[in-house]
Amino acid sequence: MFLPNNPLVVLSLIVFLPAAGALAICLLPRGRTEMAKLSAFCVTVAVFLLTVWLAIPGTSNAESMRFAMGTGRMQHVFSVDWIPSFNIYYLLGVDGISLPLVVLTSFLSMLAMAASLKIDLHVKAYCVLFLLLETGMLGVFMALDFFLFYVFWEVMLLPMYFLIGVWGGPRREYAAIKFFLFTLVGSVLMLIAVLMLYFASDLRTLDTRQLVACHVREDALWQGKTVPGATAGSSGSAENTVGQANRGIRAIVLSDQPLHTFNIMALAEMGQLRRSPFDAKLLWGKSIQWWAFLLLLIGFLVKVPAVPIHTWLPDAHVEAPTPISMILAGVLLKMGGYGILRICYPICPDAAYELAWFVCGVGTLSMVYGAFAAMAQKDFKRLVAYSSVSHMGYVVLGLGVWSITAGNLMSTDYWNLGMNGAMFQMIAHGISSAGMFFLVGVVYDRVHHRDLDRFGGLFAKMPVYSGISMGIFFAALGLPGLCGFIGEVLVVLSVWKYSMVLAVVAASVVILTAGYILWTIQRVYLGPEYKGPHGEALTRMTPREIAIAAPLLALAIILGVYPRALLDYTEPSVKHTVTSLATWMEDVKLPRLQAAVAAEDGKQP
Amino acid sequence: MNLATTLPLLLGLAWLLPLGSFAVIVLFGPRLGRRGVGAGYLATLAILAGFVLSAVATLGWLSEHPIAAAGHGEAHAAESIPPICGEWYTLAEFGSLRITIGYYIDSLTLVMFSMVTLVASCIHVYSFGYMREELGTVTDPMVTLADGRPLERRGRFCRFYQYLSLFSFSMLGLVVAGNIAMVFVFWELVGICSYLLIGFYIERKSASDAANKAFIVNRVGDFGMLVGLMVIWSTLGTFSFPEIFEQVRPAENHHSLVVPDGMVLAGVKAEVERIVLDAPGPTEAKAAIAANLPDWREQGHGRWLLILAGLGIFCGCVGKSAQFPLHVWLPDAMEGPTPVSALIHAATMVAAGVYLIGRFYPVFAPEVLVVIACVGAITLFMAATIAITATDIKRVLAYSTVSQLGYMTLSLGVGGWLAGLFHLITHAFFKSLLFLCSGSVIHACGTNEMPEMGGLRRKMPWTAYTMLTGALAISGAGIPLLYGLSGFHSKDSILAQAFSFKLENPSLGGVFFWTAASGAAITAFYMFRLWYMTFAGQPRNEHVARHAHESPWVMLGPLVVLAFFAVVAGWTLPVIGWGVPTVLEQARPAGTALGAAGRLVTVPAEHVSHLPPSIHIPVSFIAFLAALAGFVLATAFYGLRRLDPEDARRTFAPIDWFLRRKWLFDELYQAVFVRPVFWIARSVAAVDTRGIDGVADGLAWVTRQVARLDDLIDRVFVDGIVNGIARRTCRIGLGLRSLQTGNLRQYVMWVAVGTVALFVLISLVWDFAIAG
Amino acid sequence: MNLLTQPVGLAHYLVVGAILFVAGVVCMATKRNGIGVLMGIELVLNGANLNFVAFGSPSLRADSQYAIGLDGHMAALFVIVLAAAEAAVALAIVLSFYRDHATVDVDEADELEG
Repeated sequence: MFLPNNPLVVLSLIVFLPAAGALAICLLPRGRTEMAKLSAFCVTVAVFLLTVWLAIPGTSNAESMRFAMGTGRMQHVFSVDWIPSFNIYYLLGVDGISLPLVVLTSFLSMLAMAASLKIDLHVKAYCVLFLLLETGMLGVFMALDFFLFYVFWEVMLLPMYFLIGVWGGPRREYAAIKFFLFTLVGSVLMLIAVLMLYFASDLRTLDTRQLVACHVREDALWQGKTVPGATAGSSGSAENTVGQANRGIRAIVLSDQPLHTFNIMALAEMGQLRRSPFDAKLLWGKSIQWWAFLLLLIGFLVKVPAVPIHTWLPDAHVEAPTPISMILAGVLLKMGGYGILRICYPICPDAAYELAWFVCGVGTLSMVYGAFAAMAQKDFKRLVAYSSVSHMGYVVLGLGVWSITAGNLMSTDYWNLGMNGAMFQMIAHGISSAGMFFLVGVVYDRVHHRDLDRFGGLFAKMPVYSGISMGIFFAALGLPGLCGFIGEVLVVLSVWKYSMVLAVVAASVVILTAGYILWTIQRVYLGPEYKGPHGEALTRMTPREIAIAAPLLALAIILGVYPRALLDYTEPSVKHTVTSLATWMEDVKLPRLQAAVAAEDGKQP
Repeated sequence: MNLATTLPLLLGLAWLLPLGSFAVIVLFGPRLGRRGVGAGYLATLAILAGFVLSAVATLGWLSEHPIAAAGHGEAHAAESIPPICGEWYTLAEFGSLRITIGYYIDSLTLVMFSMVTLVASCIHVYSFGYMREELGTVTDPMVTLADGRPLERRGRFCRFYQYLSLFSFSMLGLVVAGNIAMVFVFWELVGICSYLLIGFYIERKSASDAANKAFIVNRVGDFGMLVGLMVIWSTLGTFSFPEIFEQVRPAENHHSLVVPDGMVLAGVKAEVERIVLDAPGPTEAKAAIAANLPDWREQGHGRWLLILAGLGIFCGCVGKSAQFPLHVWLPDAMEGPTPVSALIHAATMVAAGVYLIGRFYPVFAPEVLVVIACVGAITLFMAATIAITATDIKRVLAYSTVSQLGYMTLSLGVGGWLAGLFHLITHAFFKSLLFLCSGSVIHACGTNEMPEMGGLRRKMPWTAYTMLTGALAISGAGIPLLYGLSGFHSKDSILAQAFSFKLENPSLGGVFFWTAASGAAITAFYMFRLWYMTFAGQPRNEHVARHAHESPWVMLGPLVVLAFFAVVAGWTLPVIGWGVPTVLEQARPAGTALGAAGRLVTVPAEHVSHLPPSIHIPVSFIAFLAALAGFVLATAFYGLRRLDPEDARRTFAPIDWFLRRKWLFDELYQAVFVRPVFWIARSVAAVDTRGIDGVADGLAWVTRQVARLDDLIDRVFVDGIVNGIARRTCRIGLGLRSLQTGNLRQYVMWVAVGTVALFVLISLVWDFAIAG
Repeated sequence: MNLLTQPVGLAHYLVVGAILFVAGVVCMATKRNGIGVLMGIELVLNGANLNFVAFGSPSLRADSQYAIGLDGHMAALFVIVLAAAEAAVALAIVLSFYRDHATVDVDEADELEG
């Protein structure tokens, strides 16, 4: 392959190619709208190909950019100075959790850009914002420096605001501001937590092995300085990391002030230490990590979105143009789940153990609430939006089922199952919801309304469209053989071990889901004739539309029939996370619980 | 022949052929042959090949495992033959947990395979005739467009066969499944095929309503099944049938039911947690738990999980097999084309529930069996009574199906594993026969309503007499203690088992037995009522009668084949001993032949009910007399017209009303479930728009008000001060303007005086400063 | 201290300068004729000039051994030049005023009243 085997080049190319494309489109002469759209589409295609190339499995060796299956560790990690005075690095990498989301992002961006070819208002600005959005999304999934993560998170926010606010429907300003404010509240909470963790963190608590594993750079360790004979910053090259870290260790030992870090992996290692720096009490008897977990969780749950902080979603979806709805549902919501999985749980395990009931409760509530709300909607897009709330509830529930408890004999398999189910559900929902929004858009383009009571009979007029729609809707319904089933079933099966009541409630959602989806199909596609206005405009799907919808359906079938296509990527990494938390549970939490029990016993007699 | 390798191959091929046919029809459907007729040939060929393959597989099996002996008793006593299990494909794997696509092949699988492919082949062939008009443009008189014209649409011949193929694939997958998760997968798939085929006439509101109802009601059952799956998965850590059976009925315990370790531990979570927290290390904790395990099991911990697992799985069966209280979808499902009703809603899919009870039989505790029996008894009686008053020919058959499925369920519940599954097979033949006959009638008359028919015997003799065969079979016609039609044998064995159950548990068993016996009478009554109203007497509607004609041979052929099997399916061949019950007996789950003693009931062993004449003889005669009574009554009312049905209706008006309203289930569910759900949905949506959005918008409003206040403060205070200073300065300036007289001399005066004044002032200050 | 009995010193110059100054100011304040006012200005300027010269004279300074003492004279020269320029401009103004109003009475010139 002609691409260099340098992660710095490849990952940066993936993240910043869209931004570069945006810049290039800015420079296009006025009026070249077709060219702008076409070049934006080409950029998204190129990024998609790059990410697919990145995902090609191969053997694990340092010389190759192939993705090593089955290791579960971070791969292609590199670290470059960015703001050294605050220990902020340009630190990117992928593993089995982020890679599928990266591929999903580039894939949906490509399809959404193809769906945007009909946009004819301020085309250049649209393309520029769209590509910036893609950069932000890809960056969020690859960033391993917390500050960088936060920056990408915010980068993605603003283009989205404009894309909804300028190209949206009649109430676009309201929806855009609502989206922006909700998400901003979340990110402000996240920022607080980021800073809390940063100032509580101390690299001196980690040992050499951990520092090497976390890709902490040597110069980060040298800030404590004053090692006689050591020459700071003499060797900048990447080889011999152990030696570097060893020298760094001496620096740390001698350092008399804490060495803060934004490195997510290092923060996770610290969070799982027996004497974690995050265990210090902060407020109302709760530790730093308890508060950080809560703040981060709320920040991510806004994005997921979970009930009761989900109301930005229906409005944003209803007002957003079709391609943006696809991105919003397909990718943006996943960032919440990704954040919980990547950041909340590894960094704050103790808080996560204590608050598992909260996470699961919110997840289940979202599932039930979203399904009920979807059932009552009259607007097609609103219905799909609420179904997203319901489906993302599975993700939160699957992530939250901390079943490694003493009562379960510390069994890790079920949580592993749940987390994998959540991962699968994220991808599956990315496919099915993007498909549903696109299909709603197809019919909206023709008849310019979305009132569910004024459809009907589409099957006769648009047979291919209806066939694809039913496939995608059945995928959302969780029909076996399609992607939604695997995710839902894996999550639901994992819950019983955590809580029987939640499991029963979660299982009951299958009835509600069937209810609202079948009722929708009946009202839109079945029936003798179309009841709304512009019936003559209901023409068959164009080849372009088929080219967008068919890959989604194909992917839904492939993942439904051969789930290991995805699970082989996610399972090792998820297992890595779960195993490290299980180790923490046995080494750190269990002794604490035993001590608590012993203290109680001592008190009673 | 090495069965362990060939059988999975043969059945796998038979299973996948319809899938291939489905895929081809999806992609190239309308282009296959003239107007897509090729799709029909393709699908039929696929299922016929499937039948041949299953027949070969069955023969192979029988040649390898001959029936032990022709004698009744020895066959029952024979050791069951271990099934052929394995995996084709792993869907997902998490540590020790695996979800796979596998197979579990025993004689039950083979019999089901043969039955399904045979019935499906007949129905595929039959549909060529029944669905012929779908090849051209169809005018649907039941759908009126907004402008008053009836709907005209393109035919959907390909789509029909496409769905049939998908259904065949799903149904065979369900039967061959090697684990309960795979069963669930295909369970859902047959559900969706049923949905698609019930709603085949998508333009009809009633059809799409019925399809939705079928799927959603089934999902209610699936919810229970999912709970059962969760229990099994979380406590046993596997879905595979042999592994579950091994844990529930371990061989070292003589295959009798025990609560598996996983369930016991899940039942005493708090104690386990305590031990782990108290123990100094994991090894000590494990030892302590292992030591306590027998005690916990003795105390009955975790038994409720075993019961819950059984009830959950049974819940799925209740949905799929249309048992009380989830039976409401099946009569409505008759909106689909009649071949579909015959295939899915009579012979195969609805029987899948019963099949699953039979397959999962080792896991059911006696408590669960009682529930199963109760549900079966209620269903069989209720559905039979509703069938008496129904006038739609397909609805009569639908309720009859529900009732017969109730028989099977009851039989399995009272320990009649073999009897129930035997009835499943015989029922599949005669009920699909009855449905196809009714389809032939509907095809000829263009109506479903029996009061419009009558006297069709002369116009369509083949249909009439094959249907009569079916009616006799379902009524259990035969010579007591000797031979009869297929239904005679299977129903007799069910009643015998119920009688045997009654001997062990007099009160409950009595209810079961007499319900079943009276059900036999009602069955005969409504079946002959149907036959007489349709075929006997004089035509009641001249137009219909003139219009009626015998169906083409492509439809009659399958009728004859099915009629043949409806007669002989219950027979056991002499000498070699081949027959449905003897073959099925080979698949009897280990440990279930002995019966079981629970806290509430004692379930008798099945072979007990066949041996002693004390059971066999009275039961045979009771069954015969009951069926005879039903037949005589029907003949009196509808055949000879000695009694007037209207009289009876007037006499029992409240009962008649109650039965016509189908025991008010639809109204009840509408009021108890549907409306509340929609109400909750609307409230939730309202909470969203008014409550949560209200809070958000309220916060926004408050923020705006604060901003406004801020603005006010800014303007009044901050700006006020600045502007006030400016204004005052301006005013002072204006005041001083009057000094500017323009008079030069005055200016000079001012300058002079001012200077002097300044000097005076300064000198004063100077003085003070010095002094200070 | 009687000035008249003292040898001529700084004080005497200052007295003369002050008299000239006061006379000039009184002249400016009382004369209604524009030319008279100008003459008053000249008196004032020269009164001030006298002071400069007096202060600048080496014979009258205490620090004469250090300074050359040209600063006072420089200032006086500036004042003279300035006075000449001022007189020229002022006379031009008076002339043009006369042309417009046919009078040089400064009391008539009150158009710049505020």
